[in-house]
Amino acid sequence: MFNQIRLKFTFITFFILLAFILFDIFQLQTTEFQSTSEIIDQQNLDNFYITAPRGEIFDANGEKIAETKLEPHLFINMRKITNENSASYTQIIQYNFPDLTTREINEIFESKEILQFVTNLSSIEYEVRNNLLTNFDAFLIIDLPIRNYIKNELFAHTIGYLGIPNQDEFNIFQNALGNNQVGKNGLERYYEDYLSGIPGELTFLGSEIIDSKQPIPGRDLFLSIDSSTQLVTKESLQQGIDLANKSFESINEIKRGASVVLDIETGNIISMVSLPDFNPNKFVSGISDFEYKQLDRDQAFNNFAIQGLYPPGSVFKVVAYWLALSENIFPEGLNNKDSKVDCEGSLSFGFDDGSQQVYNDWKLEGHGKVDLTDAIKQSCNVYFWDIALNIWRNFGNTEGESILQEYSKELGFSEKTNVDLPFEKVGIIPDRNLFEEWKISRPGIVREEGWLGGDLMNLIIGQGAITTTPLQVANAYRTLLTGENLSPTLNINAEKITNNKINVSEEFISFLLKDLNTVTNKGGTAYVSFSILGNKVNDIGGKTGTAQNAGDKNNTSWFVGVDSISNPKYIIVTVVDEGGSGSAVSAPVSRRIIQHLREYELTPVEFGEITE
Amino acid sequence: MINRKITILGPEGTNLYILLQFMLFSVISWFTLFSSIESIEFETTNILSRQIVFSLIGLIVFFLTTYLSIENLYNLIYSFFILSVSVLIGLLFTTPILGVRRWYDLEPIGLPIFIQPSEFSKIILVLFLAKILSQKSYKLIAVLGVLINLLLIFIQPDLGTTMLLLIVTSFMFFMSDIKLRSAVLGLLAFFLLFFIFLEMSFIGDYQISRIIDFFSGDDFSQKQSRLSISSGGLFGTYFTNSQITEVFVPVQTTDFIFSLYSRNFGFLGGLFLLSLWILFFFRVNRIIKLTQIEFEKYLLSGLLILLGVQIFINLLTILGFIPLTGIPFPLLSLGGSSIFSTAIIFGLINRVFIENNIVV
Repeated sequence: MFNQIRLKFTFITFFILLAFILFDIFQLQTTEFQSTSEIIDQQNLDNFYITAPRGEIFDANGEKIAETKLEPHLFINMRKITNENSASYTQIIQYNFPDLTTREINEIFESKEILQFVTNLSSIEYEVRNNLLTNFDAFLIIDLPIRNYIKNELFAHTIGYLGIPNQDEFNIFQNALGNNQVGKNGLERYYEDYLSGIPGELTFLGSEIIDSKQPIPGRDLFLSIDSSTQLVTKESLQQGIDLANKSFESINEIKRGASVVLDIETGNIISMVSLPDFNPNKFVSGISDFEYKQLDRDQAFNNFAIQGLYPPGSVFKVVAYWLALSENIFPEGLNNKDSKVDCEGSLSFGFDDGSQQVYNDWKLEGHGKVDLTDAIKQSCNVYFWDIALNIWRNFGNTEGESILQEYSKELGFSEKTNVDLPFEKVGIIPDRNLFEEWKISRPGIVREEGWLGGDLMNLIIGQGAITTTPLQVANAYRTLLTGENLSPTLNINAEKITNNKINVSEEFISFLLKDLNTVTNKGGTAYVSFSILGNKVNDIGGKTGTAQNAGDKNNTSWFVGVDSISNPKYIIVTVVDEGGSGSAVSAPVSRRIIQHLREYELTPVEFGEITE
Repeated sequence: MINRKITILGPEGTNLYILLQFMLFSVISWFTLFSSIESIEFETTNILSRQIVFSLIGLIVFFLTTYLSIENLYNLIYSFFILSVSVLIGLLFTTPILGVRRWYDLEPIGLPIFIQPSEFSKIILVLFLAKILSQKSYKLIAVLGVLINLLLIFIQPDLGTTMLLLIVTSFMFFMSDIKLRSAVLGLLAFFLLFFIFLEMSFIGDYQISRIIDFFSGDDFSQKQSRLSISSGGLFGTYFTNSQITEVFVPVQTTDFIFSLYSRNFGFLGGLFLLSLWILFFFRVNRIIKLTQIEFEKYLLSGLLILLGVQIFINLLTILGFIPLTGIPFPLLSLGGSSIFSTAIIFGLINRVFIENNIVV
């Protein structure tokens, strides 16, 4: 039988309980309201980020060239430090870590951070660590990644280095804030999001950790760079620079240069060196102000392979070479590559626009009778000036007058190569429009008359306002040999960008290779530098370049090499800033790199012959 | 038995008050959850959209339950009970989630939800008790059935629900004309059993640590939840621009939702919500007095006690008077199973109203 009275009794019990609960809630929300607000104010959630281990970097042979080591770091939870226990914590730190000075210890205890770093524990015995953790609950050990560049200076400009992010970098790179480090240059910057990993997070409520997220390591990067080639490239370039210093009386000390080896088939970069360089590990442990300024003054942080802007000099003549054969524009009166002009060492023009009237070749006595092949072989300026004159006479002041500039741009000059490195510079291919712009934006740099015939004469031999980077030159030669202007890349998994496609016939490529071969052969401008190879020079090619600089600056020394004529695999570009003649300095540097690429015996870089 | 016309809103004569109450509680829950989310995108992972979907399905469940007449229900109870026990046994063969076998994961069949069978088995237990108690005499085997049901929930392990059902069962026996002496003896036997299980370490470590934490007075979530309730003040922070920083309370949208509600709507809000429940209890109590059918009396009082004890356990937990239990606040907490089971309870009560011709 259902008992109504007992139900009533149950309900009454419920009401008494409910009244009690409501009373408690009422008290909480009225009398305790004020004190609660104060407690909550101290309870703000705080986050402490844990740097994620960066992805490691490997060279073409799978050799590790940048690594991430996890090392235990001792932190102290400042929210657990009170007036009572701070003295004992100070003592513990003093006792266990005698290396820390009293001032450093005082600074730790003045910290406003939640977690304050004390010291790296990697050299401390396990028992000591364990003892610290179990007996003192304000201590915390967190494994933090340390970046180590195994080859030190060798990859300074390609890998780059890390630093503390600035405001812009916080905005660009989402993990920069949590990691408190960001790639400042090189691949570390270009692939920042790929390498960085996602930082871990400790969430604090008051002094307690209420939530934690483990950091997620970044992904590894695999490069096309070959460490041994890189090393030979660096040694050879350094020898070349030393040689130039020894051989020339330059006002400035010669110390800058760059050298790039590019794989012809894939467009991958096999080595890339810029000098002077620096040790990126110094940024990990903290670089001194003095040292930084010193390096900065030497422009050591510039990667001259992609940021050095130099007039290319005679190495630029291949553009006119390609134009001549494609458009059938030869010196006036000639209609094929085998017809010859008579080079008497200078050329006079009847320019009516106020340009220079007489042009002197670098070889004052002249090159004699030269065809297109001889013009490349001996780097004869007169032949190319004749081509420029022909262009000027036929197209001057018409839409077609910029045909040389258009051909340059097809090969990637004054455009980005889209290499997978940051801060790439593009250089300049001057034309009438640019000079008109400069008249307004940079008055004084160009003459009042604007673009003149003489400027085209300068451009065709790679002089004047034109500037290029070594990588652009390497990529332009590569484009001529393959027909495809691909972005040169370091990461073997990088997506290749096709910058442009050009029409080059098999016939043209074999002509070009054969003519490049004449340069390193007997009678060519680079023969002296290559003669040590004996008859092996029959299968090697290149082009020398010596670009004049304004003012007191010594000439820029260029050499573009091809490792083989029968089976061309690599383009080798070497530039020594103020290195003088290309055939004297850069050619032997490239020769040594080619010796390595073809697995010949290495011989020292020795002074070649002064030519253009 | 009157033949009733079937309408869209259930059979003729749905009690508007019960329906309104159900919807009001749901809307209060939406507003409370709204304050704790950052975006209102309609996604399966967004707690507000989940809860709204759950509430709407709950409304359908409410009407579906209403179609079942009390007579048919009465005849089906034993089948329900056997089904319920089987489903609980089935749980033993699932892979544990968070260390306990409490849910069926419906992800493999494409539904992004977990079903908690004990939510439904507690209603079936009340139905079962109502049936055996309303018969002139009940067999010992029925009592054994209740014990097996409790044991299956206990070994999930789900200490909170076990305690809840133990209290509900005790009250329901208490409501019948059972001698007070045997009631007390029965309770003592239960507690003895409980401590034997404790000794045999049937109870997981984490349950022990909850209890130890509680008695040492430093359970973090309960301290935080008291702070959260307190920060609501008289009027709450929902309609004012409070300068007080948010308080971190673990599982604030499920078990601890009343602390979130109190923070948002203050003491007056809490009073309002609890008054609605008191009103609901008075309404239902009137039928208990009115109806002549013994089964309906047991059923309604059992369901009221089930709801009431859940609310009390939930409130006492978040106020820190008893250890953590994991009992949700009916219709306020986030979670499908809890909403559907409460919808069934409301549906059953509604059916009793209909059959007694009480419409408003």
